[in-house]
Amino acid sequence: MAIWRIALKEILSSVRNRQTFLFMLALPIILMLILGAGLSNAFSSKHSVGEVRLLYKATFSENDMSAYWDSFTKAIGKEGVEVVPIRPGMDWRQEVSSGRYTAYATIDKDGIAFFGSSKNTVESGILQGMLVAFADRYALGTAAFQASPGVGTNILKHAAESKDFIQETTLVADRKPGSIDYYAVSMTTMIALFSIISANYLFGAERARKTAIRLMAAPISKGEILVGKMIGNVFINTLCVLVVVLFSKFVYHAYWGNHFWLVLLALLTEVLLAVSLGLGIGFLLTKQEGSYMVVMIFLQCASFFGGAYFPIENTEGILTLLTNLSPLRWINTALLELIYMDNIVAVWKVIGLNLGIAAVFLVLTVISIRRREAF
Amino acid sequence: MSHVLEIRNLTKKFGDFIAVDNMTLNIGEGEIFGFLGANGAGKSTTINMIASLLRPTKGEIVLLGKNIVKDSKFAKMNTGIVPQELAIYEDMTAYENVSFFAGLYGLRGAMLRERTEEALAFVGLGDKHQSFPKNFSGGMKRRLNIACAIAHLPKLIIMDEPTVGIDPQSRNYILQSVRKLNEMGCTIIYTSHYMEEVEEICTRIAIVDHGKIIAEGTKEQLTSIITDTKEIWIGFRADGAISIESLQGIAGVTAVRQEENTLKIVSKSEVNNLNRIIQQLIKDQVEIRSVEEQAPNLESVFLTLTGRNLRD
Repeated sequence: MAIWRIALKEILSSVRNRQTFLFMLALPIILMLILGAGLSNAFSSKHSVGEVRLLYKATFSENDMSAYWDSFTKAIGKEGVEVVPIRPGMDWRQEVSSGRYTAYATIDKDGIAFFGSSKNTVESGILQGMLVAFADRYALGTAAFQASPGVGTNILKHAAESKDFIQETTLVADRKPGSIDYYAVSMTTMIALFSIISANYLFGAERARKTAIRLMAAPISKGEILVGKMIGNVFINTLCVLVVVLFSKFVYHAYWGNHFWLVLLALLTEVLLAVSLGLGIGFLLTKQEGSYMVVMIFLQCASFFGGAYFPIENTEGILTLLTNLSPLRWINTALLELIYMDNIVAVWKVIGLNLGIAAVFLVLTVISIRRREAF
Repeated sequence: MSHVLEIRNLTKKFGDFIAVDNMTLNIGEGEIFGFLGANGAGKSTTINMIASLLRPTKGEIVLLGKNIVKDSKFAKMNTGIVPQELAIYEDMTAYENVSFFAGLYGLRGAMLRERTEEALAFVGLGDKHQSFPKNFSGGMKRRLNIACAIAHLPKLIIMDEPTVGIDPQSRNYILQSVRKLNEMGCTIIYTSHYMEEVEEICTRIAIVDHGKIIAEGTKEQLTSIITDTKEIWIGFRADGAISIESLQGIAGVTAVRQEENTLKIVSKSEVNNLNRIIQQLIKDQVEIRSVEEQAPNLESVFLTLTGRNLRD
C-alpha cells in the first residue's frame, strides 16, 4: 500500500506543478506545429514548376541542324517551354539572373553551352535535361548519317517528334511521412525522453526538501519508495506522451499507422528507459547540479542527433556514431518503419533494447541505494 | 521507571572521524530528555541513529526492549521525528502532508482521517487543513512539521531544534505542545540551541561534546556539578572591542563570552577576582554599566564543561 501511496503523491505533485506539466504538453505540441509548418517543403515530394523560358543563341552551319533545332523548339514549346532567341543588345546574364529567363544556351558546331538560373533550379534542371536529350539524339543522328545517310536523316527527322525529352523515375513509396507526421513522431519520442529530467530529480527533490528524512524514518523499505516513485513518474510521463500522441492524431491529423497499440507500447518502454536513466544518473552522480547538467547535455545531444528537430540522414564518420547512439534515433527509425512499412520486428527490437538498458540502469540504482545509508 | 530507550556503547564513525564515541544512555518512559551540544558535538548523529536514519558502527540502540537494527520496522512504527529543517511538501495541503506521512505508518481509511485531523488540531492548524504550506508563516510550518511526526501516535518523539527561526508566540505554542504530548504519554528527545527552552521543559538533560556524554542529569543535578563556580555578568557600553584574552588571563577566570552588551564571565567561586576584572576593563577603556553575580545555570554548566558556547 505504501507503494501506491507514494505513487499517488508523485502523480498529484506532478499535476500540481503546472509549469512542468504544461512544458511537457505544450512544448511538443507547439514545436510540432512550428517545425511541421515551417519545414513542410523539406518533406514534400511535390514541386510546382513555374514558367520555363529559354534564351538562346544559335549559329548553325548545317541545314539539318537548323531544321532539327526548329522541330525541337516546337516540340518543347508544346510542353510549355518558351524558347526565345537573344536579340542584339540583350545581356543574357542580366536576363537569367533577374529571373526573366530560366536559362541561356548557345548552340553552334562545337556543341551546346548551357547557363542555368540558380534561382529556379528545378526549372533550370528540366531545361538542361531537354537540351542534353536534344544533343544526344543529334549526335546519334549524325553518327548514323555517316554510316547510312538514309537512316541518319530519318533519325534526325523524327527525333524531335518524341516528347520524352525528360523521363522521370520516382523512388517515392505510396505513403511517406509529411512534415507533421514526422514531427508528431519525433516530438512525441523527444518528450518521452524528457522524462529523464523529472526522474533525475525524483530523489534529489526529496533531499532538497528534507522530506527524504521522513521517508527514511517511516517503516517502509527503500525498495518500496523507489518502486512507488517510479510508478508515479512513469504514469505521469506516459500520460503526457499519450496526450501528445492523441492531440497530434486528432488535431493535427498526423498519421500513426495501423499498429497504434504497438506504437504506444514502444513509447511506454521509452519512458521506462528515460526514467531509469534519470534515476541511475541521479544516483551515480551524487551532486544534483552535476547530475542535472549531464542529463541536459545528454538530452540536447540525443534530441539533435536523434533527429528531433530535423531528420539527419546520410551521415559519415563520427556523426554516424553519434546519431546511432541516440535513443531517439532508434525509436524514431523503428516507429517510422512500423507506421509506414508495417515493420513490426523493428519495433520489437527497440522495445527489447529499451527494456534491457532500463534494467541495467535500474540495477545500478538499486545497488547504489542499498550501499547508501540514506538517499 | 522503565526505559523507553537504551543506548549501549554506541559508536558512529565516518571514515576516520568518530562522530559518536562509545555513548551509553538510558531514557525513561515519560521523560522529556534534552540533548545539549554545540554544532558537531555528535547529537544529530546520535538522533539520526535513534531514528534509524544512520546505522551504528558499533554498539546498540534498544527501543521498548527491541534492538532497532534487528526490529527496524517496530522501531520506526514507534518513533516520530521532527527534523531540524522543515520536511514538508509545499505543493500539498496541510491535510495531505499529514495524511501522506501517517499513511506510510500503516494508517488507513477512517482511522487515517481521524488521526490526521487530530494531529492538525493538536498543533493549531485544524482550520488551515486545506491550505498549502507556501501560504503559512514560519511558525505554522514548524507546527505542521510537528503534526507530520505525531499522527501515528509514536511512543518516542525526536524533536531536533523544533523552534528555530520562529516568533515567540509560535515558540510558546510549540513548547506547550511538547508538554501536552508528554502528558499524553509520549517520551520526547529534545534538542535546542536555546538553553532557556531546555531548562524550561526538559526533565533530564545530557551534555554532548566530541561524541561523548560529558554530563547527564536533571537541571539541578547538572548545576550542582559546578558549585565551585560563579558567573559574573558585566553590562557595558558597546563602543570599542573588548579584549576577551586579557580577561581570560585573570586568575580564577575559566571562561568568558560576550553577548551583545553583556560580558558573561565564569570564574572559580573561591577566587575573589572581581576587582581585577573591573580594573582590566577600565584599563581597556570599557564603560561599565552594571555588574552582577549570577547563580550557576545550565548555560554556565555547558560553558564550564565544554569551554564552548552552545551557539558556537
